Amino acid sequence: MKFLKIEDNKGFFAVDGKTWSPIDQINKEHLLQLLERALSDNFEMDNFEKEKLGNQAHQIIYKNIYEKFVELGKNKNRFKDESEAYYKEAIEKYSQ
Amino acid sequence: MKKIDFHIHTVPSISDSAFTFSMDRMKEYVEKRELDGIAITNHNLFDLKQFGEIANAVAIRVFPGIEIDLEGGQLLLISDGTELQDFDAKCRSIKESITTAADSISISTFKSVFPDLSKYLLIPHYDKKPELPQSALESLKDFIIAGEVSSPKKFIYCLKDPKSLTPVYFSDSRIKTALSEFSPRQTYIDAGEVTFAAIRTCLRDKNKVSLSREDGHKIFDALGNGLRLSTGLNVILGERSTGKSFTLDQIYKTFSNVKYIKQFSLVERNAEADEKRFNELLSAGQSRFTQDYLKKFQAVVDDMAKVDVDKDERAVERYVDSLKKNAQEFEKADLFSKAQLFNESDFSEGGSGTIKALIGAVTALIENVEYREIIDRHVTIEALKKLAVELMLQYVAETAASLKKRFLNDLLGSIRKSLQVHTAAAPVEDIDLYLVAVGRKKSEKFRAVVKAVQSEREILRKDIQGFQIVAVRKPFSSAQALKSLSARKVKFRDAFAAYAEPYSFLTVLRTIGGLEEAEYFKFFTHIEYRILNKDGNDVSGGERSEFQLLNEIHDSQQFDMLLIDEPEASFDNLFLMNNVNELIRDISKLIPVVVVTHNNTVGASIKPDYVIHTRKSTSGGVVNYGLYTGHPSDKFLTGLDGSTIENLEVLLNCLEAGQAAYAERGKGYEILKDRR
Repeated sequence: MKFLKIEDNKGFFAVDGKTWSPIDQINKEHLLQLLERALSDNFEMDNFEKEKLGNQAHQIIYKNIYEKFVELGKNKNRFKDESEAYYKEAIEKYSQ
Repeated sequence: MKKIDFHIHTVPSISDSAFTFSMDRMKEYVEKRELDGIAITNHNLFDLKQFGEIANAVAIRVFPGIEIDLEGGQLLLISDGTELQDFDAKCRSIKESITTAADSISISTFKSVFPDLSKYLLIPHYDKKPELPQSALESLKDFIIAGEVSSPKKFIYCLKDPKSLTPVYFSDSRIKTALSEFSPRQTYIDAGEVTFAAIRTCLRDKNKVSLSREDGHKIFDALGNGLRLSTGLNVILGERSTGKSFTLDQIYKTFSNVKYIKQFSLVERNAEADEKRFNELLSAGQSRFTQDYLKKFQAVVDDMAKVDVDKDERAVERYVDSLKKNAQEFEKADLFSKAQLFNESDFSEGGSGTIKALIGAVTALIENVEYREIIDRHVTIEALKKLAVELMLQYVAETAASLKKRFLNDLLGSIRKSLQVHTAAAPVEDIDLYLVAVGRKKSEKFRAVVKAVQSEREILRKDIQGFQIVAVRKPFSSAQALKSLSARKVKFRDAFAAYAEPYSFLTVLRTIGGLEEAEYFKFFTHIEYRILNKDGNDVSGGERSEFQLLNEIHDSQQFDMLLIDEPEASFDNLFLMNNVNELIRDISKLIPVVVVTHNNTVGASIKPDYVIHTRKSTSGGVVNYGLYTGHPSDKFLTGLDGSTIENLEVLLNCLEAGQAAYAERGKGYEILKDRR
């Protein structure tokens, strides 16, 4: 599912993959929700292409967030492995 | 048998409080305690002149010695006395090395001062504080012939343990003017004469040392007045006001690490206050279980304390705001802010936790001996080794990459800073979204752990002395309950308001001044202990006292001696007979036990190893308190002055209220039997 896209020279984001808002409307809550999605499977976004983003402000915001999520995507598997292990033994012990 | 005390102080040193040596008390000590040989062993010093005076003043053999602070422990070094000038010079060298009470010399210094250790008797503090460390014992093992212990219990333990040194038990007395009681701590050796060679031979053989002249290790000297006790079970019998409790008090003062259960000490007086105190004691007694049970949870809370989700969220907010501002102000962009590095993000360094855990797991599989067969059936050791090497290489590569990233991040940071100085454009605040995600995930998992550990559940049920201890975990019910866990006076009202949300609760705990981070975990779940009687019901006040008595007797194993004063004053005979007597007998196999009683259930049925009878007599208006001792099967008990009294008479008088009452009771029971 796509969460960041470029259309009509503008950047857009959708925390649910459906409801699109201009990228310059993004706030902290949106970014944290996208963060959750970015670490799960099926997170897609349009590649950053400067030429397709005529709106300069959108260009800056889209590029920065896009790069953050690309970097995060590289560590997706590591995050899965590590987060599986967080407090695993304790949860098992005290759930018995 | 010869009686020796090779640990005597006669000169105060920087390690002692001040005292004045008394030659008269020295002579008196030797005579009253019937010693055959002594050694003078002052802390880190030897007084040649005084030693000569003592050797001339007493009629027994006196050996020159020194007690040395060595490697944090202490060691007695005793010379044969043939080269006194040389010994004096060596001891002076030790004295110069020790200038404060905290000083201690090293093994190498010690060996350089005493190059030929075979000339001396070396006796370290062994099962006695401060003990000579194991490394020093190892280094001196060819010369150490015995180890000093601090109680008859430890003496017997060393005798029985084949790996232990020969134990010796010495007074460690300061022979001072104000000395009121002479120490009963000495060692008997099976030697014909007190010579250096004979002592050395005896101390090399555990069969040649004992706690008493005739009865080996079964009897030991307990008081300076000559009272001896069994290393097993002793019963002190006597009528009221004949000095039973006084004798018990004297024993308590003479020895250290003694458990003393005083008369009436366990009886409840105020039901509510006593129940509260009992519950506190119960929880304290079970603190090890609580600690073990919550160990994993404590580790989680400790880890969680490093996470700050709110701070992370504020950082995300700053990042978004700064990014948007930077984008809006793009027209302000100049030469500096247009530079690629101006808004470049840091590299995410990442962690190495997963790969380290994998390397550990594979190494464990390679090294495991216990389950070797099973492991080998499924995977070869060669394959495991190859896997370990590959993982290690990967770890090295990741660590190198991480170090490079750190270097580049530092570089990026300093370049960004330089560019920012020259431009009006707002820079974009950097953020590591990976770390933000980690914090959020941990907080989510933390909630799961806390909810699990708070769900009400019985976590322990065990039988103790016919009672049951039950532990239940559950959520705290009030701020007051949280407060009762803290030793400090702090308010938990705000914290309790956030109790339902684990991370918020932890956040509020962090704001409470005076609360240690290491104790946060205690406030999440309430571990409550209850004692149930044999019928499975909550215990009554009387049963609480019974449980406490049994528990105290049981826990006395960690002490060197157990003293119990008149248990029958607080407990009924059936309980004593059925529960207490057997437990006391069991404990007396481990440590000396002394029970004061005038009750036949305890006194006679407990089958003591040794009987002490206290008797008050008046002669010419002067009151005398006499002590008579012997084995229960002895026809006569012997007084400290050598006089004797009939054992049966003592038993009947003290336990059965005299022969006539005993016969009368017997008749009464016979009549009842006939009527059946």
